Amino acid sequence: MRISGLRVLAAVGLMALALAACGNNPTTQQKLSGGTATWAEAPNAKPNYIFPLTSGGFFSVANLSQFQYLMYRPLYWFGENGTVKLNSGLSLANDPVYSDGGKTVTMKLKGWKWSDGQPITSRDVEFWMNLLKANVGSWAAYVPKEFPDNVVSMSFPDSMTSVFTLDKTYGSLFFDYNELSQISPLPQHVWDKTTDGGTVGDFDRDPKQAVNVFKYLDGQSKSVGTYNSNPLWQVVDGPWKLKSMTTDGHVAMIPNPGYSGPVKPTIAEFDEQPYTTDTAEFDVIHTAGIDYGYIPTQDLDQRNSLTKYTFSPWIGWQITYMQINFGNATNGALYKQLYMRQAMQHLVDQDGYIKNIFKGFAYPDYGPVPIKPASNFASAFEQKNPYPFGVNAATKLLKDHGWTVNAGGVSTCSSPGSGSNQCGDGVASGAKASFKLEYASGTLAVKQEMQALKSDFSKAGLEINLSEAPFDTVITDAFGGSNVADMDNWGGGWIFAPDYYPTGDEIFSTGAGSNGGGYSNSTNDSNTDATTTSNDVKALYTYQDFLAKDLPVIWIPVADAVLALVKKTLHGWDPQDPILQLYPENWYFTAS
Amino acid sequence: MTGFLVRRLGQSFIVVVGVTIITFLLTRLLPGGVARAILGPRASPDSIAQFNHDNGLDLAVPQQYLFYVNQLVHGNLGFSYRLNESVNGLLSDHLPKTVILLGISTLIALGIAIPLGIMQAVRRNKIEDYTFTTLSFVLYSMPPFWLGLILIIVFAVNLQLLPPQGPQGPISTYLDPTELSALVLPVMSLALVTIALFSRYMRSSMLDNLVQDYVRTARAKGVSTRGVLYRHVLRNALIPIVTLLGLSLPGIFSGALITEAIYNYPGMGLLFWDSAMTRDYPVLLGVTLVVAVATVAGNLLADVFYAVVDPRVRITD
Repeated sequence: MRISGLRVLAAVGLMALALAACGNNPTTQQKLSGGTATWAEAPNAKPNYIFPLTSGGFFSVANLSQFQYLMYRPLYWFGENGTVKLNSGLSLANDPVYSDGGKTVTMKLKGWKWSDGQPITSRDVEFWMNLLKANVGSWAAYVPKEFPDNVVSMSFPDSMTSVFTLDKTYGSLFFDYNELSQISPLPQHVWDKTTDGGTVGDFDRDPKQAVNVFKYLDGQSKSVGTYNSNPLWQVVDGPWKLKSMTTDGHVAMIPNPGYSGPVKPTIAEFDEQPYTTDTAEFDVIHTAGIDYGYIPTQDLDQRNSLTKYTFSPWIGWQITYMQINFGNATNGALYKQLYMRQAMQHLVDQDGYIKNIFKGFAYPDYGPVPIKPASNFASAFEQKNPYPFGVNAATKLLKDHGWTVNAGGVSTCSSPGSGSNQCGDGVASGAKASFKLEYASGTLAVKQEMQALKSDFSKAGLEINLSEAPFDTVITDAFGGSNVADMDNWGGGWIFAPDYYPTGDEIFSTGAGSNGGGYSNSTNDSNTDATTTSNDVKALYTYQDFLAKDLPVIWIPVADAVLALVKKTLHGWDPQDPILQLYPENWYFTAS
Repeated sequence: MTGFLVRRLGQSFIVVVGVTIITFLLTRLLPGGVARAILGPRASPDSIAQFNHDNGLDLAVPQQYLFYVNQLVHGNLGFSYRLNESVNGLLSDHLPKTVILLGISTLIALGIAIPLGIMQAVRRNKIEDYTFTTLSFVLYSMPPFWLGLILIIVFAVNLQLLPPQGPQGPISTYLDPTELSALVLPVMSLALVTIALFSRYMRSSMLDNLVQDYVRTARAKGVSTRGVLYRHVLRNALIPIVTLLGLSLPGIFSGALITEAIYNYPGMGLLFWDSAMTRDYPVLLGVTLVVAVATVAGNLLADVFYAVVDPRVRITD
């Protein structure tokens, strides 16, 4: 029955894609030059950090993919034709070349130019690396022992070539997608100074002075209202430069006439509009007042009446899960039992939630690697559900391990001990299967999903006590060891950007900075290490297959990132980038 | 008068200090931590500890308050880590936009409400009076968000005459002729409610004054009806309006929260709304403090102005 349902959904999805393609086909339309394209920022997701060596909490899609990258291009661009892969055409350098058994990587720049006419050189790469090495603690993406710690020496034999020597052999997939992907050459000839009036020098080559350079640039980035007037930010290498920006998040960009990339902007201006709520944004959609916006999930029924727009769900490169706290004083021992996690996963009706709550605009998640958009990174095993929805299967697991199941109530452990048919280490006689789950407020679909999950869990006597809190509170509790809850769903899961190769070394390895639940498994650690050193994607399959079975978290469906609405007069936006990057340089208008 | 002013200023200072203490404590009682919320799930424990140290968040609550007050007396209202901008910078960006919105709507409201109130008083219990009284009650009792949504549906969605949102972009573009249409609906939302309020006060005040002895005296001296109305009654009848205007001064700083939220109008109200939703403590504290000062100042100004325009009021030391 569910398979049929999925087929119907797939068919609907294909039809929608076909219609979207038709709607975006301008073969009979005359391409117009110029015009201002407006794009709606997600609610409360305003860009507010311009310096591409991003610190602290500014490391977000809104700041990187949808703001900085329009002006400052990474050394290597990822994302091509709606897939996650290295885009050689948009990268500033030719594809990296590995030698010395994978311990040396050489990157050769293409000779593109900054907007002031100066060439982008290896000195600009060195400038980035020097600032990074001297200020790793301030860089949001820093993972100890990984980039840049794993670059033991650098050389720059000529103005176009950078050579890194690594501490060991890495797989090129991992090093390209997760390490080199982080580099953004910076205009050393303009930014290498420590004060406004200071002269530009080689300060970055002295680690102490590099700290001061970083402080200066970071400080200059702490005044959003001055971005468009500060001379520092006028030198760019991307297709766009700032025309104006306000502290409320309104951004206006105009083409950078000196952009060296293959596609030059043809529209005259690209504007990003801030919205506090999706309701305010949808009011504007009703009047066709924005070119590229979105429809709130609760208003999906109205999408067919918006005749001036093409509806196009935008899928992100992400996974979604409920984090479970293995160290929780009350329930940590329960979470450590694989059978308990398996029972929980059996009780997540992903197909039902997708159909009834997300109205078809979500897809299942069975493991740590995104299965959409399609890629060769997701294994065949992970794409099938190892723990299909089934109350009987969950109940059997509990009974087989010494639990007295009380459907609709609270099951209790009646056979403590570490035997194969007992509750397991640390689970006392009479222990109750009662859990506290905190989830992020503000999204109706998430609320409905959690209520449905509570109902499904109760069918096997697993009691879920729900509490709702703002996103900030949930992540604070999830990563701060709080006892407010022992399960957390902050509603966003994990987006793999700009660490595009989904190795999970940041989220599921023992002691990883974002492993808030404290999951620890030596096999997984070993598998994860292999994903970073092997060139074979099979290492990733081994890693994900193990975690799909071992359940470091409870997987739940991934909602489509954006339910996009694009005016039928706007073209060039399709396919949408799974890393949620924008390419307004590809956009153009037609008359109708 | 001087003693009065000194006493009032002293009281005002105490009120403002009290407001800073109360708002500071209230925001600290909110659940959740600031550092993790700001730095995000990728933040390491070290960076969180460093953030807390840099911002005085690892201090005891009284010391955090002193840290805050110390910044304040140096003219630093704080820094918003969410918006990556100083609170002073945010106020200077958002305040002028609210001044434009409230300034235009208040001027329009005064321009309509005063003649309307006079007309209703003169034509008391006639069909015009009943009509506008009913209309005023309807408008005044209508929740602002409801009125805003109705205007959007009628004028933006159905008739497609006006934009459903306020102007976007830098303040320099707000009075640009091409952007003026975006101001119409937010201004109309505020003005309609204000007209209803002011016209009721004006009507009532006019009626009070029309039966005063000085009016009878003026008429006995042969002053024309128009002269009585505009030279004698109007001046006295305006006093409650002056008081109302003084009390509405804080509104400029707090913004028309609901109206700005409905129309996505980036003024002080929307700034406060955003900050409350995201627990942006520095902005909440900064805006609350400024509004408190404006409230105290507005009351003070209204009192003083009241004494100036109404000779019957005498302030003694």
